Amino acid sequence: MAIGKTQRLRVAVKAAANKIGFLRNMPMTTNSLTDRRRLWDDLAALPSWTGAGVALLVLIVVTTIMNPAFRSPTNLVNILNQNAVVGIIGVGMTLVIILAGIDLAVGSLLALAGGLGILTLNALLGMEGVSEVTAVLGAMVVMLAVGAAAGALNGTLIAFGKVAPFIATLGGLVAYRSLAVYYAGGGQFFSQGSDLFAALGQGLPIPGTNIGRPGGRVIPFEIPYTVMVWCVVAVVGYVILNRTRLGRHIFAVGANERAARYSAVPVARIKLYTYTLIGLAAGVAAIMSAARYTSVNSSSTGLLIELEVIAAVVIGGTRMEGGAGSIAGTVIGVLLIGVIKNMMVMLSVDSHLHGLVMGVIIVLAVLAQQLGRWRTA
Amino acid sequence: MSDVTPVIAVEQLTRRFPAVRALDDVSLGFAPGEVHALIGENGAGKSTLMNILAGLLAPSAGRVLVRGKPVQLHSASDAQRHGIAMIHQELNLVDELSVAENIYLGREWTRAGLLDRKRTHAAAREHLDAVGCLAKPGAKVGSLSIAAQQMVEIAKALSQNAKVLIMDEPTAVLTRREVALLMGLIRRLRERGVTVIYISHVLPEVLAISDRITVLRDGRHVTTLTNEPGLTEHRLASLMVGRSMGQQFPERGEPGDEVVLKVRGLCVPGHVKDVSFEVRAGEIVGFGGLIGAGRTEMAEGLMGLRRTSGGEVALSGKPLKARSPGDAVRAGLAYLSEDRRGRGLVMGMPVVQNTTLVSLKRYCRPLIRRRAETAATQAHVDRLGIKAGRLHDLIDTLSGGNQQKVALAKWLEIEPRVLIVDEPTRGVDVGAKAEIYALIHELAAQGLACVFISSEMNELLGMCHRIAVMRAGRVAAMLDGATATEEQIMQHAAGVGAAREPSTSGRRGWRSEKPNDCASP
Repeated sequence: MAIGKTQRLRVAVKAAANKIGFLRNMPMTTNSLTDRRRLWDDLAALPSWTGAGVALLVLIVVTTIMNPAFRSPTNLVNILNQNAVVGIIGVGMTLVIILAGIDLAVGSLLALAGGLGILTLNALLGMEGVSEVTAVLGAMVVMLAVGAAAGALNGTLIAFGKVAPFIATLGGLVAYRSLAVYYAGGGQFFSQGSDLFAALGQGLPIPGTNIGRPGGRVIPFEIPYTVMVWCVVAVVGYVILNRTRLGRHIFAVGANERAARYSAVPVARIKLYTYTLIGLAAGVAAIMSAARYTSVNSSSTGLLIELEVIAAVVIGGTRMEGGAGSIAGTVIGVLLIGVIKNMMVMLSVDSHLHGLVMGVIIVLAVLAQQLGRWRTA
Repeated sequence: MSDVTPVIAVEQLTRRFPAVRALDDVSLGFAPGEVHALIGENGAGKSTLMNILAGLLAPSAGRVLVRGKPVQLHSASDAQRHGIAMIHQELNLVDELSVAENIYLGREWTRAGLLDRKRTHAAAREHLDAVGCLAKPGAKVGSLSIAAQQMVEIAKALSQNAKVLIMDEPTAVLTRREVALLMGLIRRLRERGVTVIYISHVLPEVLAISDRITVLRDGRHVTTLTNEPGLTEHRLASLMVGRSMGQQFPERGEPGDEVVLKVRGLCVPGHVKDVSFEVRAGEIVGFGGLIGAGRTEMAEGLMGLRRTSGGEVALSGKPLKARSPGDAVRAGLAYLSEDRRGRGLVMGMPVVQNTTLVSLKRYCRPLIRRRAETAATQAHVDRLGIKAGRLHDLIDTLSGGNQQKVALAKWLEIEPRVLIVDEPTRGVDVGAKAEIYALIHELAAQGLACVFISSEMNELLGMCHRIAVMRAGRVAAMLDGATATEEQIMQHAAGVGAAREPSTSGRRGWRSEKPNDCASP
């Protein structure tokens, strides 16, 4: 009786899934390892972002040793500032991924909302009797509204049209980008002549904290508004996720949608709200991004940012299959990616290889989490 | 039997988990060709013992012997090599593949590097015939009934030359007739010299089928008995709980006069046709019938989980049109699902969050007050005697009986006027069963109207004031709980007269009876 070895793909996939199931139940093998098993049990009780947190600390220490300039407040603030847009969208993405969904459209939405905001700003500034404050506020409202509306559209398709989140937001990824390029006539949106709007992208000088910059000039220490907004968005996201019914329902739907429905959770509405929230987060990010550069490039602003956001969320210990995750983890994930990028610049790694390093680190981070999960029975 | 070398034995087997000693110094031998039942309450260590034998779990101490030789079982394939196969409660088959492809999954028959379908089918047919399964080798597994899928799994185990078959609650998902067929198969396997380790909560089955019975309690080996005519269910139950069992079913209270739930002509397309009944305050109305008779679908129709086509539902005289479960819950309906792990509870969520999932609004103002939430959960834990480590542990860490109590607590949280329970004691041990019965009676005494769906006859007869027997989507009979008999229920459930019973020799013999479609509204 010869037994063949050929396996078709779907067979292999299912068999692999079964194996993982076994591994999850399988502790370490021999009797003498009970103590080590207890250690793993204890490790499993730690929050899911512990690994990423430890990695971040190690990285900070190592980078500081290798290049003390890393530690300068200017550089640290710079890292926060450069990653605030990813961080703001990451808060929304955390909710979506815990819901067992995904949103690929946020990068394109960033360009579209930012672009339409700048068009609004320019149009309002050109009108008689419209103050600069009104114009800037109008532009901000437009950006938030475009973000929320696009998110709600994605949410409607997913919740009521039962379109798979990947597909629905893939449509958004392509369509919103196209729309942004169309409105920009293929080029960029520039905001003209609003110092107020430009100031939004700067920061708040903190009095009495004069910090030396290399070059001898003394400037006030600034906390950029983008960073402050990121903090506020993260706190709001934390409260929504952990202290409101919506957040609890997001966890329930992500862990087991059917059981949630049987417990009278309004599943479709929860999905709609969650995608609207990530759209809103993209709108907030659009304000910060457009103000910081006082322009939006219709074809490159936000390009591939969705992947960076998803990577940060997953590195932060949020489960791709949904049902588990945290805002704190995502913040750490964003910082981890930011610090690595910064480190590569400071250690003068060839910029063409930055992608390679990032890719390896993302996969390693997730692999480490998987191993941790298998080890614990 | 004891002088034969056991085909498989365990010596001083211990398995520790962080909080408990799930298995404590257990020594046991299983003889070739015996049916050896393993019984005990949930958490007694049955699953742990099985999982160790099946290579899914490593022991903390002690050893496993196969034909007298110590072996290390690191994986399911190790166990398989030693001739040990396990039939899980949740079957391990790929729905999208055919019966034959499933049987030879991972060991495909090939010719010149390509799959040899003809050979696969012929070989599969042989093994299917050996277990008396009539399914076609080419049929998709997903299209078969659960019973037929179970047979396929057994055929697969035998095709791998299994000498020891571990069956975990194999009859939990089967109808009566299917159970009888399975019992026949187990007897045939015994004649072929296969050892069957049979885990079950259903004591009459255990007494009917096994040669020897091992009782586990709190991880310890209590005793192993030879199944002799004098052995009673009562004796086994006492051994399992370690004390003498009192009256299992409490006295039925007197129902009130107020009609709480009134259902007229309810239709669920494809499943339920023209069902009418009333439940009064304090009354427990049972729903019996074969699996597939439409009882669960009826409950889901009432809850707004399924679309209904016609029919009127009224709660205390007020008409209820439930378009979603939310509507039903707001009106005061609660439904304890039969599928605890898939629908009843959110696995992977803590005990507290499961308990308050439906009633969460109460603890919000507007942010969730976690302390109040935890306190409320603690109150339920105390009242229902739920054994849980910490309330913020995942629900998955609780035993089946305790999980079921949490699922019940979740619905009691909303203080329902009508409680629909669907197989409330499935996969629940004797101790927890009695507690659930007592709880339902207590609630009824406080004026709750209860719909009690169950496939266990004694439960229906012991618990209910009236029993509706459903067949093919209709209420075939409404019996008085005090005077009804098992035979009456069976007769109505299967259709009066043996001629209506579908033939068990036909190719479709393993399928349950399909209900008639409802006429479109």
